[in-house]
Amino acid sequence: MLKALIIDAQKCSGCRSCENYCSLKHEGACNPAQGRIHVVKWEQEGIFVPINCRRCEKPACQLICPKNATYRNLETGAMEVDPQRCLGCLSCVFACPFGATFVDPESGRVLKCDLCDGDPTCVKVCPTGALTYEEVSLETYRKLLANADQIPILVRAATGRPELCTAG
Amino acid sequence: MYGWVGKILRLDLSEGRSHTEPIELYNDLYVGGRGLGVKLIYDSFTPGTDALAPGNPLIFNTGPLTGTAMPGSSRVDVTALSPMSRLRAKSNFGAYWGAELKFAGFDHLVITGQAEKPCYLWIHDGQVEIRPAEHLWGQDTFQTQRLIQEELGDPEVKIVCIGPAGERLVRFACLISETGDAAGRTGMGAVMGSKNLKAIAVRGAGSVKVARPQEFLELSLQANREIRESPAYQELSVWGVARGVHMMYQMGFFPVGYFEDVCWEELLEKYAAPEYVQKHQLKTVGCFCCPGRCMNFLSVPGLGKGVTSCEPFSGFTGALWNLDMDVFWEATLLTNKLGLDCTETSASIGLLMELYHDGLLKAADTDGIPMERGSKEAILTTIRKIAAREGYGDLLAEGQRAFAQQVGPAAEDKVDLVKGLAPHAYEFRAFHGTALMQAVGHRGDPLPLRGSLLEVDWNHAPEWFQTVAKEQFGSEEAAIPTSYQGKARAAVISEHMERVADNLGICKWLYGLFAYQDVNMAHRFFNLVTGKDWDLQQLLTVSERVRNLERMFDVRQGLTRKHDDLPKKFFEVPLAKGKFAGQVLKREEFEKMKEEYYELRGWDKATGIPTRAKLEELGLKEVADQVLGAA
Repeated sequence: MLKALIIDAQKCSGCRSCENYCSLKHEGACNPAQGRIHVVKWEQEGIFVPINCRRCEKPACQLICPKNATYRNLETGAMEVDPQRCLGCLSCVFACPFGATFVDPESGRVLKCDLCDGDPTCVKVCPTGALTYEEVSLETYRKLLANADQIPILVRAATGRPELCTAG
Repeated sequence: MYGWVGKILRLDLSEGRSHTEPIELYNDLYVGGRGLGVKLIYDSFTPGTDALAPGNPLIFNTGPLTGTAMPGSSRVDVTALSPMSRLRAKSNFGAYWGAELKFAGFDHLVITGQAEKPCYLWIHDGQVEIRPAEHLWGQDTFQTQRLIQEELGDPEVKIVCIGPAGERLVRFACLISETGDAAGRTGMGAVMGSKNLKAIAVRGAGSVKVARPQEFLELSLQANREIRESPAYQELSVWGVARGVHMMYQMGFFPVGYFEDVCWEELLEKYAAPEYVQKHQLKTVGCFCCPGRCMNFLSVPGLGKGVTSCEPFSGFTGALWNLDMDVFWEATLLTNKLGLDCTETSASIGLLMELYHDGLLKAADTDGIPMERGSKEAILTTIRKIAAREGYGDLLAEGQRAFAQQVGPAAEDKVDLVKGLAPHAYEFRAFHGTALMQAVGHRGDPLPLRGSLLEVDWNHAPEWFQTVAKEQFGSEEAAIPTSYQGKARAAVISEHMERVADNLGICKWLYGLFAYQDVNMAHRFFNLVTGKDWDLQQLLTVSERVRNLERMFDVRQGLTRKHDDLPKKFFEVPLAKGKFAGQVLKREEFEKMKEEYYELRGWDKATGIPTRAKLEELGLKEVADQVLGAA
């Protein structure tokens, strides 16, 4: 079953553990600028949005690559870059509509999330559950339950008859 | 180099010049953070320099672990000569700035001189620029950060800045980063203001290198998990300290009013912080790479958004006889935006309320505003007037003592200060180890020290915490608040523990108090990051060296045993109510505790000054020669 890295920005506390652990895991050094995930922060508003590869169905990074260096890892679904083929032209970085393909500021290498081969480190350290790694069907099922849960409340509100339903 | 990025940036604002200096020489003796800060201020401060003169260096220190992936790795220590105490200043802040400074390529900043016109520093990727800040002068701390981020075109630039209070040299002005992470105490905002320096913006894409990355990753993952599972952090991450403060009031650890009482029944019944948090909290937030989230991010319609942590929850409530949580929040936001230390601010307002209550101060003395206990007008107007140095606020901005002196001798007699600062808002009459730590502390600060926390915890489970005290401090009595026994050793050990976290540039709440109750975890991290193979004792010896050098800086400024004291109220006025009714400090027992402490420290009992033998043992012979005179 396909798993996906799911971001719930509402829950993010902006701590940037994901960025720094990502760098430590992949580069052996602590440097958020080498992370494959970044948190965009509006600290005065309390709004924090983690941005990571969306693993698109038709990935611009893959389509634009002149050397076919970007490919999908069929085990995990992650879009990865073959360093042997990569020219370093950064086309994929500019083509990504989400700004989620990053560049190593030191070496100029393309940094793409490889989902840590199916066991993402960022998810392990996210303290708020803003990052989860779940089976897609399970995630949709949870949403279905949450929505169904709302329906009796809406009915009650619409009819003005609280005795119709005790839930919520 | 691993851990450290290896550079001190020295900047002279008068000359507009900067240069860098390597730090290797200092690492083994002082490690970094607070420790190296003490060394740098001791060496670069010329005795006799005024705190607000260009020659007073303003120093920012990160540690070797700052910016790493381990939880709680973004603390910065700030030091200078304090304009409040004329002793060494010490303040510490978290959030994101410290980590970013290291990514920008520097471990420490030493800023001297005075810019001709308002300026700010832009430090990025090994570069430093002094940029004009006339357009920022007068702006509050929130707006200042927004404007700089806009100007530099990068919302991720991290900034520490002063507000209008620092510009006007309010002696207890602070530094603010983000919406409420403050280097709060000892008046660092005034020192920065005196240099015409509005802000320091940092941004970098460099690395903090790790000697043993695989093991470090594994241990960091473990710590991240353990902290999230720890009961203290499960509480803090939902409520911040909102519920804890009420507990502190119940135990009689937080004073009510200007240390006038320790039990206010109405407060115990009506303290509404938890409800307020429930209603207005968007989320809890924390510092860089920390799974613990001790700060409440509140958004109150009509008042505004921002974070708060512990002190305002008591400083702007019980300490000012205030039960209106909107007033608490407005006061918190105001002090953060204007750049005032909330602890000293609330204590200063508390003084006015006590003087007014006792008939020593009339409304006419305070621009027609009656300083009634709990008055919203008194609280909010005083904050604004201090920061604006307007009317009576101008004098109050010079400090509590300066204000009280103007009112008269009876008023001056009421002032409760420890080494020129409002004591941390904790009660001492029933908590005797806390009293000792406050009195001998370098700026008067018992918390967060482990020994003090044990006295508070004791209330929950006396036998258990006595056992803990026996293990950690060698005496069950060390945990019993009202006992005078075993406190001196607890103070010494706690001070050394605290300095381990401070020297490493990490959070002492996590590594020594709430998540890990000793410094073993911090020690393991230190070796993995730096590649050193130190035993724990080596780190603790650095702590002892730092403690002694701190003391010698202050001795050079004239500090002696008599300054290690508490306001006389604590010796004369017993607690009237509450769990510890009747408790008061006994002078003789208190002095005995101090002597025991000096003895354990190897300091002279009569003067409280470190002995030559102790200093030489710690490799501080030169300091002994300079301050005690040549042998």
